[in-house]
Amino acid sequence: MKLYRSFVQPYLFWMSILIVVPMLLIVFYAFTTSGNDIISFRFTLDNFLKFGEPIFLRVLLRSLSIALTTTVISIIIGYPVAYFIAQANEKNQTLLIMLVTIPMWINMLVRTYAWIGILSENGIINNIMTGLGLPTLNLMYTDFAVILGMVYNFLPFMILSIYTVLAKLDKALINASYDLGANKTQTFMKVVLPLSVPGIISGITLVFLPAVSTFVIPKFLGGGNYVLIGNLIETQFITVGEWNFGSAISMIMASVIMLSMFITKRFDQDLEERQSRKEVG
Amino acid sequence: MKKIIGLLLMTLLVAGGLSACSPKETLHVFSWGVYIDEDLIREFENEHNVRVIYDEFASNEEMYTRLLSGEQYDVLVPSDYTIERLVQENLLQRLDLSKIPNRSNLIPQLVGLPHDPQGQYSMPYFWGNVGLVYNMNKVSVDDLEAQGWEILRNPTYAGRVYFYDSERDAFMIALKALGYSVNTTNEAEIQEAYEWLLQMDATMNVVYVTDEIIDSMIAGNKDIAVMYSGDAVYVQIENEEMGYYVPEQGSNTWVDAMVIPSNARNVDLAHKWINFMLSHEAALANTIEVAYTTPIQSVFDEVTAEGGDYADYLDSYVPRLDNPLDEAFRYNNEIKKLLSDLYTLVKAQ
Amino acid sequence: MVGSKKAWISSFVMVGGVLLFFYLPILILMIFSFNDSRSLTSWAGFSLRWYEELFSSRDVASAVGTTFIVAIISTLVSTFVGTLTAIGLSKSKKIVKDVVNSLNNLPILNPEIVTAIGLMLLFSAMNIPRGYITLLLAHISFSIPYVILTILPKLRSLDPNLAEAAMDLGATPWQALVKVIVPQITPGILSGALIAFTMSFDDFVISYFVTGGGVKNISILVYTMSRRINPSINALSTLMVLVITIVLIIINVIPMLNKKERIPIE
Repeated sequence: MKLYRSFVQPYLFWMSILIVVPMLLIVFYAFTTSGNDIISFRFTLDNFLKFGEPIFLRVLLRSLSIALTTTVISIIIGYPVAYFIAQANEKNQTLLIMLVTIPMWINMLVRTYAWIGILSENGIINNIMTGLGLPTLNLMYTDFAVILGMVYNFLPFMILSIYTVLAKLDKALINASYDLGANKTQTFMKVVLPLSVPGIISGITLVFLPAVSTFVIPKFLGGGNYVLIGNLIETQFITVGEWNFGSAISMIMASVIMLSMFITKRFDQDLEERQSRKEVG
Repeated sequence: MKKIIGLLLMTLLVAGGLSACSPKETLHVFSWGVYIDEDLIREFENEHNVRVIYDEFASNEEMYTRLLSGEQYDVLVPSDYTIERLVQENLLQRLDLSKIPNRSNLIPQLVGLPHDPQGQYSMPYFWGNVGLVYNMNKVSVDDLEAQGWEILRNPTYAGRVYFYDSERDAFMIALKALGYSVNTTNEAEIQEAYEWLLQMDATMNVVYVTDEIIDSMIAGNKDIAVMYSGDAVYVQIENEEMGYYVPEQGSNTWVDAMVIPSNARNVDLAHKWINFMLSHEAALANTIEVAYTTPIQSVFDEVTAEGGDYADYLDSYVPRLDNPLDEAFRYNNEIKKLLSDLYTLVKAQ
Repeated sequence: MVGSKKAWISSFVMVGGVLLFFYLPILILMIFSFNDSRSLTSWAGFSLRWYEELFSSRDVASAVGTTFIVAIISTLVSTFVGTLTAIGLSKSKKIVKDVVNSLNNLPILNPEIVTAIGLMLLFSAMNIPRGYITLLLAHISFSIPYVILTILPKLRSLDPNLAEAAMDLGATPWQALVKVIVPQITPGILSGALIAFTMSFDDFVISYFVTGGGVKNISILVYTMSRRINPSINALSTLMVLVITIVLIIINVIPMLNKKERIPIE
């Protein structure tokens, strides 16, 4: 057994360099100011204070609201789809889930790029509109385009998360509910839905997190002035060269995300507690 | 277990072998996107039996940040004001002019410009100015002549304007519209320019793009676009409805030039590349492919002459040299930081 | 759960609609890869010119090569290390398990861009020239946690005494490892390897920040190419979609074929 335990040591070493140190570096850069030299630096809270300006707070809020909208839409569309797939017979289920999964394997950049040709002023949709004699729609570089791109990229994750939980649901529970006299709606509301909440929660994690931090989708579909927090971080590091400010923004974004995840998990736990109380009471 | 280890070793050996299998010298060039006739790269590689790694950037700022983050390059192609900055910060090395005989082909007005007065650090690659590409059927020339850059804030055209996503050019336009110098260090004037941009951003529903602007204007997606003269030439060739206008309020005349960073590894090869780009054949191929204005006199004469490739596009291909309000950008460290921050704010609206 | 016909039709429409939503843009992308003109929106006739341009582009060839080489090497290394570490973890004290698990969660829960800039800062501080090496290091470091995460549950369901029994019978710990433990968790190892490969193959954000020296993978290539309208991207995407579909079909069909073979033996 000792031999086996020693297997962990090399990885611990590796992890501390490649996982822990980078995070420490981000914190370091966030709290210091300098050029990009490590030698000359001084501690400061300036980077964080800079973010306090209304503009940047607005960027953060915009990112959160877009991510939230995307998540909600994904749940609204994803839940029914996952539910109906779970109702199908086994052969169809495998086929349908495979059909949902295949797009996920296609590169996210390619999937986002595909919408440019569809939404732009001379794109497919507007070609159809002009063909029908209707005025063209201004779809590209709008909130709509960005949310559409996000839903398109992340919806499969939501569907899969919810489906995984629904598929494992014990059919006996549902039958028991019918036996006890509940109709379809009541069974759904009181048995299926509550039991599927873990799936929704993990789906939210898989959608909200990337939606808040992505920069490719707003860049392709939103234009250069569509700045979400991911874009802000990217420009600070790649174009502007302000690694300190960029690190501070990353820390702020990471904290906000952790907070939202924490709240979501608490919500999940609260639900469970309430349920177990109901069962006892 | 043995199989896994064996497989691992084999792969590492192969990978190691593959990477060791390039005993050729490599030349690392960092330049703008779509800025060269790619056949020239292959020609250079074959002639000197070397490998060229051709990397692209989208803005001077990105190039600078990448350079400073420790990346190693042999040839860079920055714009004039960035060359000034690199020289000030001792990041470039002096060129060995004896290795660049083709520099005698250069248009005389492009040598000895403020960013490189003795022509020791840079060799021009393309040049041009900044102007407005407009749909001749949808935008009135009277408006253009009367308003100049202010047309970008004319509500008649709201939602139909593309703006080039560049902090320098954004402030250039605002400052020129207000009648100030693009190189002003007067913070009040810069603040006014900032507000000019904010107002434009708030009322005109402007879209900020970089190279996407070219194909979009060819497709006629919008009616007015701020573009570099070279891109304007290309758009005009592909879309006959497009015209090019440079406001009388003044614009920026720019030069992109080839330089060699201090930490370049293949200095001799870098000189060969630069000399090659200045040759008549290479410069001709480049200007035909990219449509930007060539700095080589003989090529310039050839393509602008009667029957030349760009004879019909002289208004965009030939930057005017007679308007005293046209300026070149100069580099100033503090102002650059101020502009950077303000521009981030403008875009974040 | 038979339900009325209306319910069946509406669910059919809903699922069908969503699938259509997923596949239409990709189909349009693929169709226009055969377009004779540069446009992404108006059809000018059938042509293979974009495929020709794709295959003659040295940039594309090198990006595809880089993507595969990095994916293969990082998969092999991370699967190897991940498997051994997971096995080690399963026999370790609780505190070690907790520490490793929490640290493992960092790259998984962190937004990709945060992991990316962390690595970029690390490589810059350690003065490692950005390129192939940093790309490999980055890919390996974000793959191993997923491999461990996939294999650990499989290890938990193993009988803990089997390895001991083998050693009692005279096997060396290595032999017990290779001949007893590994074969039982092979499906987990393969799953982990597949996940590692996919994550490396598809990666954009982390690669974009840590690479340098002209080294690009397919995602970065698409990102830089997409500034100009370039149906070669469509061609590249079409090929990628075809390859993925074929691979997925193979993966799903082979287990079925295996099952059919086993039945006669029983």
